[in-house]
Amino acid sequence: MGNLYHNKTAQWLVYAAFFAGLAVIPMTVDDSFLLNQLATYGVYGMLALSISLCWGFGGILNLGQGIAFGLGAYGMAMTMQMQTQDESNPIPPFMLNNSLDHLPMLWQPFQNTYIGMILAVAAPTLFCAVFGGIMFRARVSGPFFAIMTLAMLSAFYTIIIDRQPYTGGVNGLTPPSSLQFAGFEVDPYSPTAYWVVFSFLLGATVLAKLITQSSFGLVTQAIRDDSERVRFLGYSVAGYETVIYTVSGLIAAVAGCCWVMLVQYVSPAQLDVGFSLSMVIWAAIGGRYSLLGSIIGAFIIQGAQSYLGDAFLATWLLILGGFFIVVVRFLPNGLASLVESGLGLFATKRGPASAEPNGDAKPIPAE
Amino acid sequence: MPGLLEIHNLSKSFDTTKVINDFSMEVTEGTLCCLVGPNGAGKTTTMDLITGRIKPTSGKIVFANEDITAKHEHIIARSGIGRKFQVPAVLRDMTVRQNLEVAYSRQTNPFWNLFKFRVAGLKQKLDEIATLAGLTGRLNDRAGILSHGETQWLEIGMVLMQEPRLLLMDEPIAGMTEGEIEKTVRIFRDLRKTATLVVVEHDMGFVREIADEVVVMHMGSLLAQGTIQQIEGNARVREVYLGEQEAA
Ligand SMILES: Nc1ncnc2c1ncn2[C@@H]1O[C@H](COP(=O)(O)OP(=O)(O)O)[C@@H](O)[C@H]1O
Ligand SMILES: [Mg+2]
Repeated sequence: MGNLYHNKTAQWLVYAAFFAGLAVIPMTVDDSFLLNQLATYGVYGMLALSISLCWGFGGILNLGQGIAFGLGAYGMAMTMQMQTQDESNPIPPFMLNNSLDHLPMLWQPFQNTYIGMILAVAAPTLFCAVFGGIMFRARVSGPFFAIMTLAMLSAFYTIIIDRQPYTGGVNGLTPPSSLQFAGFEVDPYSPTAYWVVFSFLLGATVLAKLITQSSFGLVTQAIRDDSERVRFLGYSVAGYETVIYTVSGLIAAVAGCCWVMLVQYVSPAQLDVGFSLSMVIWAAIGGRYSLLGSIIGAFIIQGAQSYLGDAFLATWLLILGGFFIVVVRFLPNGLASLVESGLGLFATKRGPASAEPNGDAKPIPAE
Repeated sequence: MPGLLEIHNLSKSFDTTKVINDFSMEVTEGTLCCLVGPNGAGKTTTMDLITGRIKPTSGKIVFANEDITAKHEHIIARSGIGRKFQVPAVLRDMTVRQNLEVAYSRQTNPFWNLFKFRVAGLKQKLDEIATLAGLTGRLNDRAGILSHGETQWLEIGMVLMQEPRLLLMDEPIAGMTEGEIEKTVRIFRDLRKTATLVVVEHDMGFVREIADEVVVMHMGSLLAQGTIQQIEGNARVREVYLGEQEAA
C-alpha cells in the first residue's frame, strides 16, 4: 500500500470534509461581523490557492498576483460605484472633486452591472494571458519572471495613484452601498455574502484540482521538472505556462471581486508589494504543492494576524517572519509535508519497504 | 527519391570557432544511419541543430520535404522527430510511468489537455513499451533513483512512446551490459520496419551490426559516407578515426 496522502480518492474525501466544515460555519456563527471576517478569509484562501496552482504546481513564482486581484477589485468597485449613480447624477463624487465634468470612457461600460462584473474578471485575465504570453514566449522564467511580475505590480500601483481623477488615487474607491445583483441586495454581513465566497472558493478549488489531475496537469508537472526536455516531446512550454498563469490570475481576479463585495472598498494597498508577498508566504507555509495546504496556510496566518496581531502589535511582523524562516528551514514544503510524511510512516510500516523511495524530494503525484 | 532527412551545407559557429563546417548528409526513409566520428567532431551539435535546440549559422535542414531549419523545438518534435540525449534526460522528479505518459504526446494542445483525464490507447502502448524497456517493475518509482542503464532504457522508452518517424539516438548503449546491447540491436532492427533512425555510436562492433549506412564526421565536416565495408576500407577514415580507435 502506498502513501494515503497520494491517493486521489482520499484527497477528494479530505477536500469534501474541509468544505463541509466551512459550510457549517454560517449555521453556528451569529455574529455578523465575525461572519464577514471569516468570508474575507475565504478570499485569502482563493489567493493562496491561485499561488499554489501557479507556483507550487506550475513552478512559476509570481510575486505580482496583486495585479489580478487588484484589477478585479477595482473593476468590482467601479461597478458598485456606478450602481449608486443615476441619470440625474451620473458622475461619482470623487471625480467631481477632481474637476472632471464627464464620465470617462474607461468608466462607461461599468454603468451596466453585468458588463462591469464581466470586465472586472475578464480584464485582469486578459492581462495575464498577454503579459504571460509575451514573457513565456521569450523564455523568461524563474527569478527573472518573478522580478518582471514585481515590476509590473509596481507600475500598476504607480499608475493608479497617479491617475487620481479616474481611480480615486491613494484614497481608492468606496462604493456607498452594497452590491445589487439581479434585483437583490447582497449585504456583506449576511450569510448570503458568505455563501457567495464559499461557492467561489469551492468552485476554484475543484477547478484547480481537476486541472492538476488532467493531462494538462501532467505536462505542467513535467515542465516544472525539466522544461527544456519537455519541448522535445512536442509540447509548447510557453503555451502551458501561459495557460496555468492565466487560470491562476482568473482565480485571483474573482477573489478581488469577492473582496470588494465584502468590504465595499478598494485602494492601491491591494496592489501593494507586501500584500502580494503575503500570498506567497501563505502558500509557502501551508505547503505550495498542496492546494488545500495553501488555503489552510492563508487561514492560519490571516487568523493569527487578526487575533494575535492585535495583542502583539509591534512584534507581529517579527513573529510572522520568524515563523516563516522556521517553516522554510525545517519544512521546505510547508505544513502539508508534515501530513505527507506522517502518512508516509504509516504506509511504510504496513506496506513493502520499496514503496517509498523519496526522502526530501518533491512529492510525486498530482499535488 | 529525396531522403527523409536532408542536411544541406550546415554551418554553426560558437563565437569564432566553427563547430559545424559546411556539413551535408541525407538519410533514406526506413534505414538506420550511424553517425560516427572522434570526440568533438560535432555529432551532438548536429542533433542539436536538427531538433532546433540551437540555430545554425547557415545551411538548411529538410525533414519529410519540409524546411525545419531553426524552427522551435516543439514544432520539430511534432513534425515527427524524437530524440534521446547523450546525457540521459528524463523527468527525475516524476515516476517512470509519468515519464512514459508525458512522452505519449499525440495531443499537445494545452486547452484540449485541460479536459483530458483518460488518454485513448495509452495503457496498451505503455504496457508494450515498459515491457520492451524492461521497466514494468519500476513504473511507480521516481525516475531520479534509476540506475544509469535503466535511465537509458527509460529515455529510449520515452522516444518510442512519441512514435516518431525519425529517431535520433545519441550514444544509446553507453553504460549498458553486453546482454542489453544485444537487446538494443534487436529493437533497433525492429524499429527500422516502421521508422528511420540516426544513431551516434563509438562502438564499431555495434555499428557493424545495425548500420545500413555510416556517416563519418570529422571537425564538423563530412569525412565519408557509405556502407560499413566502404567506411572500413576508406584510408582517410582509418587515418583520422578508426586508427585512433584501435590505438585506444
Ligand atoms: N555551446 C557551445 N559553445 C562552444 N563550443 C561548443 C558548444 N557546444 C559544443 N561545442 C564544441 O563543439 C565541438 C563539437 O561538440 P559535440 O557536438 O558535442 O561533439 P561530439 O558529440 O561529436 O563529441 C566540441 O569541440 C565542443 O567543445
Ligand atoms: Mg556527443
